[in-house]
Amino acid sequence: MLRLDRRLLQNVDWLLLGAALFIIALSLVSLWSLNPTRGISSLVWRQASWVGVGLVGLLVVASVDYRNLVRTAPVLYVVGLGLLTSVFVLGRTVSGARRWIHLGPLTVQPSELFKLIFIITLAWALTTGRGVRSRTSLIGTFVLLGIPFLLVVRQPDLGTALCLIPVLGAILVGIGIPLKVLGGMTLAGVAAMPLGWFVLKPYQRDRLLVYLDPFRDPLGTAYNVIQAKIAIGSGQLLGKGVGGATQSRLSFLPERHTDFIFAVFAEMWGFLGCLVLIVAYVLLVMRGFEIAAGTREMRGRILALGVTTVFAAQILINIGMVTGLLPIVGIPLPLMSYGGSSMVVSLTALGLLLSIRMRQFR
Amino acid sequence: MALSSAPPNRKEAWGRRVLALAVATAIGFIGLVGQLWYLQVLEGGRLHELSEKNRIRVRPVAAPRGILFDRNGLALVDNRPAFTLSLIPREMDDRDSVVARLAVLLKMPVGDLLEALDRVPADSIRPVRVRRGLTLEEVTKVEERKLELPGVVVEVEPQRVYPNSTFAAHLLGYVREVNDEQMKQGRYRRGDMIGQSGLERLLDDYLRGRDGGERIEVDAMGRPVQLMRREEPDPGAQVITTIDRRVQEVAEQAMAGKAGAVVVMDPRNGDVLALTSSPAFPLDRLAGNLDREEWVRLVKDPQTPLMNRALQGQYPPGSVFKIVVAAAGLQEGLIAPMDRIYCNGQFTLGNWTFKDWKPGGHGHMDLRSAIAHSCDVYFYQAGLKIGGETMAKYAHAFGLGMPTGIDLGGERFGIIPFSSARPRRRALHAGETVNMSIGQGQLLVTPMQVARMMAAVANGGILWKPRLVQRVERSDGSLAYSSSSKMTERAELSPVVWTFLRDSLSAAVKEGTGAAARIPGLDVAGKTGTAQTVAKSDSAKGQDHAWFASFAPAEDPQLVVVVFVERGGHGGDVAAPVARKIYEAYFLQKVAQVTIGESG
Repeated sequence: MLRLDRRLLQNVDWLLLGAALFIIALSLVSLWSLNPTRGISSLVWRQASWVGVGLVGLLVVASVDYRNLVRTAPVLYVVGLGLLTSVFVLGRTVSGARRWIHLGPLTVQPSELFKLIFIITLAWALTTGRGVRSRTSLIGTFVLLGIPFLLVVRQPDLGTALCLIPVLGAILVGIGIPLKVLGGMTLAGVAAMPLGWFVLKPYQRDRLLVYLDPFRDPLGTAYNVIQAKIAIGSGQLLGKGVGGATQSRLSFLPERHTDFIFAVFAEMWGFLGCLVLIVAYVLLVMRGFEIAAGTREMRGRILALGVTTVFAAQILINIGMVTGLLPIVGIPLPLMSYGGSSMVVSLTALGLLLSIRMRQFR
Repeated sequence: MALSSAPPNRKEAWGRRVLALAVATAIGFIGLVGQLWYLQVLEGGRLHELSEKNRIRVRPVAAPRGILFDRNGLALVDNRPAFTLSLIPREMDDRDSVVARLAVLLKMPVGDLLEALDRVPADSIRPVRVRRGLTLEEVTKVEERKLELPGVVVEVEPQRVYPNSTFAAHLLGYVREVNDEQMKQGRYRRGDMIGQSGLERLLDDYLRGRDGGERIEVDAMGRPVQLMRREEPDPGAQVITTIDRRVQEVAEQAMAGKAGAVVVMDPRNGDVLALTSSPAFPLDRLAGNLDREEWVRLVKDPQTPLMNRALQGQYPPGSVFKIVVAAAGLQEGLIAPMDRIYCNGQFTLGNWTFKDWKPGGHGHMDLRSAIAHSCDVYFYQAGLKIGGETMAKYAHAFGLGMPTGIDLGGERFGIIPFSSARPRRRALHAGETVNMSIGQGQLLVTPMQVARMMAAVANGGILWKPRLVQRVERSDGSLAYSSSSKMTERAELSPVVWTFLRDSLSAAVKEGTGAAARIPGLDVAGKTGTAQTVAKSDSAKGQDHAWFASFAPAEDPQLVVVVFVERGGHGGDVAAPVARKIYEAYFLQKVAQVTIGESG
């Protein structure tokens, strides 16, 4: 299975891989710089080992024909559903949410894993049966994905749920659902938003209100937003460097190694540093779109587009929220934030993209 | 599966749609870059400042208050390290329980603690002082339970220490935490200790010094991470006063148990060597945590311990005023030293009869003996000859009825009847003139005014602005302030009159009413006074104020001592012995020093 022929190797997308590895390197440096005096901290080692696991995942997935992977979708779907359900049984509550389950020494976040399963299931459901744009397959797809989606919302993991919506949207646009239908669905979604208010937990409502008015509660919910803005802004054009990043070093920043790691990076490296990081992300995402556009086979298209948009959505939402453009939702910055599940899933997803790319030319 | 290879047109459509999604994504990224540009470049400076504010806290370090010295370099007041209990609101996880525990531990009212905390934001990292002057025992109690009392700290600060609780209280004044009213001036920070009365208030700007500060880097929890810079406090300036601590102490001891005032002045330059008012208030209690009840007790005390009687008490001068009457009569040529009268103990004017203090009278009297024995009848007649307006003119010339110009605040003017400065409400009554000639009636003076007057008699007419402060030296040794003796007025009398007055006052001690101030080997000159007061039946101690206004040595005056004892009785019995003790302390101390100097 792992025997790659020469042609496959020739078509490895080095640009995509290079961009991803570059971002990972920045992530390790950022994690290290949070505590530079202690040498290479356990945080960095752990993240590095997750990168290792992720790279293995990447290699495995890249070497497998993605079409075979899509065929296993029903199995993956059931496993994913099982993991999501297990959170409610085995999960530990961390800051009001049950998102993690413990497997021995490891803590796994099933909703992260589910992002990938979501895309694979989507590719399977839309290409199985009557055809991509048939009403039955669409409705079937919605039902199939609706169940786990609600489970994720219930955890609650609004961030993950939120970035799955653009993925679905992008895929629907991609496969050419008539704009009328898309428009109707969007309208229905917007109309349902007030209902969503009642589904939200109190802290989530606070976050939304704070987004609208950050100085509502400067030491409470808005603290994160304000401190993150201060951290990013105080980096100015060139950044404060590793030693001078006081916002990060002195723990003014919340969640500084996970969801808010971009603020740490921005404080240390300034606007120019951010530009470099964003260019790397743009390169990665645009390469993803290019791969999607260049794929002739429908399953590959859906997978490539799904993976690309899940990256794009996470990046835009995370940086948007850290810079105060969007309300705060718990969502990691792919390849940057500390966290095993996210890193492994991201690298595996990239493996999927590579796999599709390698098999375009057959 | 037909879908696996799409026809070319569908491939194009797919490509277009993916391109559209890519463009939408790109727009999103451009938006992010725009926001970063806004935050980091346009707003960067402001946000950078905010990040500095976040991490840097300034903690004040109290400057030790300047020390007040007497003229010989002895400290009148000093500092010692004292323990102050403070609360750091930010570190108090559970405010109510910490406050409750502390209240029980130190027996403090919970309300006081909460009130202090309410004045600052709940996340403040600046310690809020809640109690000063903790005993060592209390400090131990707090330190032992440190773990149960998060946010409770004991700081060491310099605090005033006094030779004794009431030493020179009115002169020095008390130091107390700035109050709400003073906070409005905007010159102080909450918790500053400032002078509230006396020299401490007068010289507060010099004494206070400049607090230093520590710039500390703190983390998000407000925990100090490192000390960035320490600015040493600039200690307050040192004040060299004109006070002689020994004289002051003797004066206070001599006045113990009496109400009244003593002013000791150098007639050669106007230096105030001692100034005491009794009863005095406890300086150390006022500086610390004085409760409301104790304060009310001080304010409402019928003995008015807070009033500085030397400057603010206005009393009839009694026979001390005869000095002014004699000076006026001699200088105006209205009486002559050799004029003799016969005193039979009373004087009749129309329907009124004025009695002499001595029943039966003094017999034959001339001016010198009338001063020495304080014959009232002589002065009734002399006063009528001189007239109230002329007496008032000379009273002014001696500085009565006007402030002495001493730098301590709250000085009263006194009252001089017949004064042209006062609007006349009714025709003058001859009886009032008679009353005034022995220092009674509406005439009111302060002990300080009398001291200044006696200095003028002693030095031949110079009215000094009483000097309390010689100089103020900054901690680096440079001079912040200095004052030399200032003459404010001059009483112009013929030299013969001055000599006569000094001679008569000397006679008063040698052979007259001032005998109790007699000291072998020292020629003290002085005038007693026994001023009648409005009858008060509740006073067991007698009704009269006792005065003794004096200087010594008579031929070469170096010291003026004015003693006033409120409702003390006869001046010669009550006030003169106080003056004697002061002279003894001053001159015998000098003699002793000279002797030691010679033998060594």
